[in-house]
Amino acid sequence: METLKKIIAQKKIKGISDYFTLYRRLNRACKEKEPSYDKKMKIAILSSFTSNGIKEALYVKCCALGIFPEIYVAKYKQYTQEILNPESGLYQFSPDLIILFIDAMTLWGDDFFQAYRRSDTSRKEWVSENGDEIESLIEKIKEGSSAKILLHNLSVPEYSPLGILENKQDFGFFEATESLNRKLRADYKTDRQVFVFDYDAFCSKIGKQHIVDHKMYYIGDMKLSLNHMPALADAYLPYIKSMASMTRKCLVLDLDNTLWGGVVGEDGLEGIRLGPTPEGRPFWEFQKYILSLFERGVILAINSKNNFEDAIQVIREHPDMVLREHHFAAMRINWEDKISNIKSIAEEINIGTGSLVFLDDDKLNQEMVRTACPEVLVPVLPEDPSSYLQMLMEIDDFSSLQITDEDKNKGRMYAAQKKRTAIKKTATDLSEYLKQLKTKVTIEKANSFTIPRISQLTQKTNQFNMTTKRYLEEDIKSFSRREDVLVLSLKAEDKFGDNGICGVAIVKKGPEQWEIDSFLLSCRVLGRKIEETFVAYIIERAKNEQAQTLVGTFSPTPKNMPARGFYEKAGFSPLEGKKGREISVYDLNKAYPYPDFIQLIRTD
Amino acid sequence: MKRLKAILSDVLEIDEASITDETSPDNVDTWDSMNGLVLVTELEIKFNIKFKMEEVTSVKCVGDIKAALRSHGVVLSE
Repeated sequence: METLKKIIAQKKIKGISDYFTLYRRLNRACKEKEPSYDKKMKIAILSSFTSNGIKEALYVKCCALGIFPEIYVAKYKQYTQEILNPESGLYQFSPDLIILFIDAMTLWGDDFFQAYRRSDTSRKEWVSENGDEIESLIEKIKEGSSAKILLHNLSVPEYSPLGILENKQDFGFFEATESLNRKLRADYKTDRQVFVFDYDAFCSKIGKQHIVDHKMYYIGDMKLSLNHMPALADAYLPYIKSMASMTRKCLVLDLDNTLWGGVVGEDGLEGIRLGPTPEGRPFWEFQKYILSLFERGVILAINSKNNFEDAIQVIREHPDMVLREHHFAAMRINWEDKISNIKSIAEEINIGTGSLVFLDDDKLNQEMVRTACPEVLVPVLPEDPSSYLQMLMEIDDFSSLQITDEDKNKGRMYAAQKKRTAIKKTATDLSEYLKQLKTKVTIEKANSFTIPRISQLTQKTNQFNMTTKRYLEEDIKSFSRREDVLVLSLKAEDKFGDNGICGVAIVKKGPEQWEIDSFLLSCRVLGRKIEETFVAYIIERAKNEQAQTLVGTFSPTPKNMPARGFYEKAGFSPLEGKKGREISVYDLNKAYPYPDFIQLIRTD
Repeated sequence: MKRLKAILSDVLEIDEASITDETSPDNVDTWDSMNGLVLVTELEIKFNIKFKMEEVTSVKCVGDIKAALRSHGVVLSE
């Protein structure tokens, strides 16, 4: 993968032709030597017109991100046949993601130019007929594939033969197209497999006048100009990043000239720009948007060179400060260098630096962090604060395909963690600390409410994860249906707040021997005897069902060292390890006591 | 001409020195119909012009591209 990244870095990308060139070069490099990768994505593109250029742009962008792509493009205008034929190349390819791109002109046919030869009623029929048709195609795909489906909506036309009277019709040309979009949106709102891609919004953003290069349309049936293919690929990336679990979790913020205008150490509390004035509003609204990110689950932190007293006074007392102390999971307001601050923030919050986005107006700080920690996303902040908000809105790295309740509360949960750490400092010993925390653990079998979160945890948990097996929702679903597999989720709560579901165990039950296939815990709850409680519960259950031994496996990865030796510490005896795995076994005749101070709630 | 050759060499991945008026899809592997359209897009952006459809469909070789560019007022230094 590094070789591929290097090939991309060597070429300055200026236009669409560079994507074609890079695509050829990357392909040649892959043919010479199979690249090593840890993330792979198989993407199928089905479209109703010539969509050359999407593949090339998408391929290059995926490689640049470190995702090795395989892309299948259905033959020109063959999307229906490919979907309906269960033997088709589409299904043989077994994609992870299917992009279905049908355009408005194709669905309207000649009526795109003569929409008013149809009656109002007939335009209504057009909506239901095409809606049904698309739905049945989607159903067919679902029968043959568990891939995520990205379904384009239609670009609403911007010209009508009726001109300014268009909006006076009973059921006009624009309205019909909009209705179909609305129908698609409504149909798939709660669908976990299908995501409606807002192509209409994409076209508006570019400018509908510029979407089509008409000469290319007539020559090659290209309904989206080649120039815009890279932007379209960009718009697909949040879905792909989210599927590859590359979502970022935490926004680290500078203060002076980032969250407010001016330097508090020089301008003072009254002198900084923040609030409903022309100079203050860009920062004020920027903070409001950051707050809404917090509310959707993004963790916030501060990394600022300042006197602590000066800065904290603004955060606590400035009347127009939107973000307050309780929104931040970690604060580094000091004269240390920004890099060690970033690292210690990640450590305190207990996430990898690869999950961070760092916003700082200072170019030098940006460059320093970029060089020292290339895994941190460091966007270029615009020179002009009035563009800050726009820049932040463009960052799509916080997106995920679904927001679980745990996600929504994440910002809050991490801020509560700050308080937990505080009593850890005052409590003299660990058991005193645990007693004060009043932890309540709920363990239950997987059900339809918990399955998405269980799958998400198997995808995202790196550190305390014994086997790091990644499972899709479909996998967890089929495990949970089996009699011989036990899928458990663990929820933890304490006096500072609810951590939500933060642990998963998957156990394969034999008549004599049970085997732990997966055992993981989100690292923010580690070291509070929750992991021991979880094992005690599994042991108890195995015993009750007359098993003799319980087998645990540890498969080392570069990231899961914190999990190493856990089974041994819990009283498992090591067996001969097979290649790259450490296996240990627990004799179920031995008693395993539940740790003190943890209240266990069983739901079975 | 240098600018045109640079673009041709970049898009078609061929050596600048090998480009002549006779260079055409017949003697360059990477010059397929798709890459031809990519080339048109790049030329339009780089020279800030818009080709007519008929120009795009009738171009057969580099010589034809030069003629079309000249007719749009592009000065090509040889």
